[in-house]
Amino acid sequence: MSSFVLHVATLGCIYALLALGLNFQAGFAGLLNFGFVVFAGIGAYASAILSSHGYPAPIGIAIGVVVAMAIGCAMAGLGRNLAADYWAIATLAVAELIRTVALNEDWLTGGAQGISGVRPLFPARAGAGGDLAFFALALAMTAGAYLLYARLSQGRFGRAIRLMREEPALATSFGYRLVPLKIKATMAGAAVASIGGSLLAHYMSFVGPDYMLASETFAVWTMVMIGGLGNSRGVVLGALLVEAIYSAVPFAKDYFDIGSDIAGAVRVGTIGCALLACLLLRPGGMIPERIRSPR
Amino acid sequence: MKLAKVLYASVAATVLSAAAGKSVAQTVSVGAVLPLTGASASVGDDQRRGIELAVAQVNARNGVLGRKLQVIVEDSGGVAATALGAARKLVSVNKVPVVLGEFSSGITIPVGEYVVQQGDVHINIGSSSPQIRKIGDGSFSVIGLDDLSARFAATDVFSQKLKDVAFIAPNNSYGQGVAAEFRKRFEALGGKVSSVVLYSEGQSTYRRELQQMSRSRPQAYVYSAYGQEAATINREAYELGLNKTKWYGIYLTMCTSDTVPQAAQGQEGLEVASIGQGGKSYEDAYRQKYNEAPKSSFGSYAYDGVMVAAAAINQAGSTDPAKIRAAMRALGAYNGATGTIAFDAGGQRREQPYDKVRFDTKVVSR
Amino acid sequence: MLQFLVDVLIRTSDIMLVAVGLSVVYSLVRFPNVAHVQYAMLGAFATLGLTRAGLPFALALAGSCAGIGLVAVVLNTLVFRRLLRSGSSIAMIGSLAISMILIAVVLGVAGSRPWRYAPTLSSPLQVGTTVISIDQLTSIACGVGCIGLLAVLLFRTNVGRSMRAMSSNPALAAATGVDGARVLNGITFLSGVLAALGGTMLGLTETVHVGLGSNLLLPVFAAAILGGLGNPLGAAAGALLISIAETLVTNVDFGWVVGGSDVYVPVTYVSAASFVILLVALLFKPYGIFDREVRRV
Repeated sequence: MSSFVLHVATLGCIYALLALGLNFQAGFAGLLNFGFVVFAGIGAYASAILSSHGYPAPIGIAIGVVVAMAIGCAMAGLGRNLAADYWAIATLAVAELIRTVALNEDWLTGGAQGISGVRPLFPARAGAGGDLAFFALALAMTAGAYLLYARLSQGRFGRAIRLMREEPALATSFGYRLVPLKIKATMAGAAVASIGGSLLAHYMSFVGPDYMLASETFAVWTMVMIGGLGNSRGVVLGALLVEAIYSAVPFAKDYFDIGSDIAGAVRVGTIGCALLACLLLRPGGMIPERIRSPR
Repeated sequence: MKLAKVLYASVAATVLSAAAGKSVAQTVSVGAVLPLTGASASVGDDQRRGIELAVAQVNARNGVLGRKLQVIVEDSGGVAATALGAARKLVSVNKVPVVLGEFSSGITIPVGEYVVQQGDVHINIGSSSPQIRKIGDGSFSVIGLDDLSARFAATDVFSQKLKDVAFIAPNNSYGQGVAAEFRKRFEALGGKVSSVVLYSEGQSTYRRELQQMSRSRPQAYVYSAYGQEAATINREAYELGLNKTKWYGIYLTMCTSDTVPQAAQGQEGLEVASIGQGGKSYEDAYRQKYNEAPKSSFGSYAYDGVMVAAAAINQAGSTDPAKIRAAMRALGAYNGATGTIAFDAGGQRREQPYDKVRFDTKVVSR
Repeated sequence: MLQFLVDVLIRTSDIMLVAVGLSVVYSLVRFPNVAHVQYAMLGAFATLGLTRAGLPFALALAGSCAGIGLVAVVLNTLVFRRLLRSGSSIAMIGSLAISMILIAVVLGVAGSRPWRYAPTLSSPLQVGTTVISIDQLTSIACGVGCIGLLAVLLFRTNVGRSMRAMSSNPALAAATGVDGARVLNGITFLSGVLAALGGTMLGLTETVHVGLGSNLLLPVFAAAILGGLGNPLGAAAGALLISIAETLVTNVDFGWVVGGSDVYVPVTYVSAASFVILLVALLFKPYGIFDREVRRV
């Protein structure tokens, strides 16, 4: 049982990485990215492909980060003329396009059944030791990402993107060029998401095109909105909460003896209701962003 | 933040342990991952029934190691990631020494690799892709792999003087395996496979795929598809008028399990033989409990999977996975509902009998 | 050639009605409502439920359309208008939440397996070498008929004129005595009806399943954006263009390129065609190829 709790906590940390990345793009910079999960997918595939060819894990992670940042740059370039919600649809289209490529190109990505048997990160310690070590790594990464974003958001860059989010015209009048800001913000979010994806690939020993389904992005969005858009702390909490709900469903299924379809429905419905409730009642999320006084 | 995290983790832990505190020392548990929802749900249901029948049979005969046998069934949803989560729960929470499953090769392979990596025993009860071999030591198949079925199909089709065929199968390790094997055998016999289409699972229409295949004007269509998708393919083939050409289904029961009978009328195919020495008694028990004939042959493979696992556990005298693995290897020949099961050096079934069948409002032998 | 035309028409009728519904209401709500495609899914299931309850298909269809129209109005009043106060982005995320809830409800009630309205098959009609089934003909006829009716409604009736007035300039329309709230509810109702109709027809030619709406999301948005949001007839044209592109991509034999025969683009890339068209449209012609009406993208 404790190993299952560890499992939930590890997944929670990995999703917290994704949520932090999206929070930076959407919360701080106001970029509504509905294709966000593709960055995680790229990290996952890069790690899986490179490790199956024998390269050590850090190389896979690094390549994943580079490719994800390139895709992020392209996505942000699309947003040159588009209002926020239309850019959102464009990012959805880009994500689906990449997923379709991953689904079809078996020679690279293993096609529909993906790549299985990805080498674990800590092969020397099998069983519980390995899981614990992995959790420690995921936790460290999450803490690192949190600190990174805290640093980024406190500096000039952070102020610039928040200004761009609220009053783009004012930002331009101050001399900030919006498109490079958008590109940098997207790339910053993409890099962390890619690391999260790489960790997921090594943890599940498997990667498939289903990792990049639109529903995965929606799940991360829910984590961010429930936690509070623009607040890193809340977002990590949101990730843990949503992951706990997702993982509790199979147990609830056993306990209440309900069918799998109903369990799936309850899972999606709970998340949807939670998201709607947050939007209607507390648009700032459970722990809203604190406007710092200019002292 | 750290405190909140610990708080949430412990709340989750308490809730979950309250919910899952059902493990009893009086039973021996094994696990099963089945497609209870998704495209193959009707086959998954049949597999579940086979498992239930086997459990009843084993417990009527003294159980396993003197205790009752229990099979914990988890849903894979037809998706590998869900299946892996289910396998993880079975292995680390329920601590089963043996995991059976799944049905689709693209799911069985990752699940099998995970189970074997954790040191447990994996039994493949429904997948037939030759790639199953790569799962490795600790995985055993009670169902024959597709090098055998493709050879049978190629010979059967060619012997009916059908020399130019089009082939459609799902785009996963199962479909790729059976397509490649069939093409190899059929062309070795002198036939021609003018078009091979690997369809993407989970689509709601396959009209375009069918149209692409029909352009080469084949003499027959050879196909293999999972329940719901096969139903769509058969229906749309009917709507396109393609069913006037002969259709040959590999594992015909699986292909027609959800199809409207009118669309599949007149199809031919092959099926895994489910009549072994124990087959008749399996069929009788099935009819008695569920008031209908067995829906597919995959239920009997699930049945045999459980029986073999129980026999191995009894032979090993304990629930230690390493001992069960050794017992499985040393099992020799087992007479099950699907015939004589013997494992080769790689844990795969040595021989697999097939039946020639055709569809006449349901699957009958020919 | 005729088969190509038939294929194009079938695919157009799949997405046209839902795209037109989206476009019709867009100019008033001003945010991309991703729950709109789930109305189509809900409509298909409502028709299914009513036919199972014993009603003949036409009546079930009418009932379902009315029902979904009502649902659209209720959701708009209770949820979307409130969220719009916080901005269109929040409203869009809210529509995402509504989508999830609708999917959960249908999943819980009807399960994940696909359903058909009638257990029998629809026989194919053969015209030369072209084959089309009765269901597909029904769908095409329904789509074309509805577009015709809609055009008549919008351009020849007073109600339609009020709707068009509200779409282009709500303040001015109110000043000339158009009742804003009533017209808004009317347009929302209409979009719900169109979505339900489109969903039912899609359920007729394919199957009724819980993923029906999600599969439509990108093609429908592509068609609506291509035609110019707020321009319903443009959305129909957009749907036609998308389906021509998709059918071309998978039906053209590229054997001459690689020196073989019967070489086709894998069918899974067909959806990529509509995504690429959407991206190109957003990049170069974000106001749609007809470039009138709503100037906010």
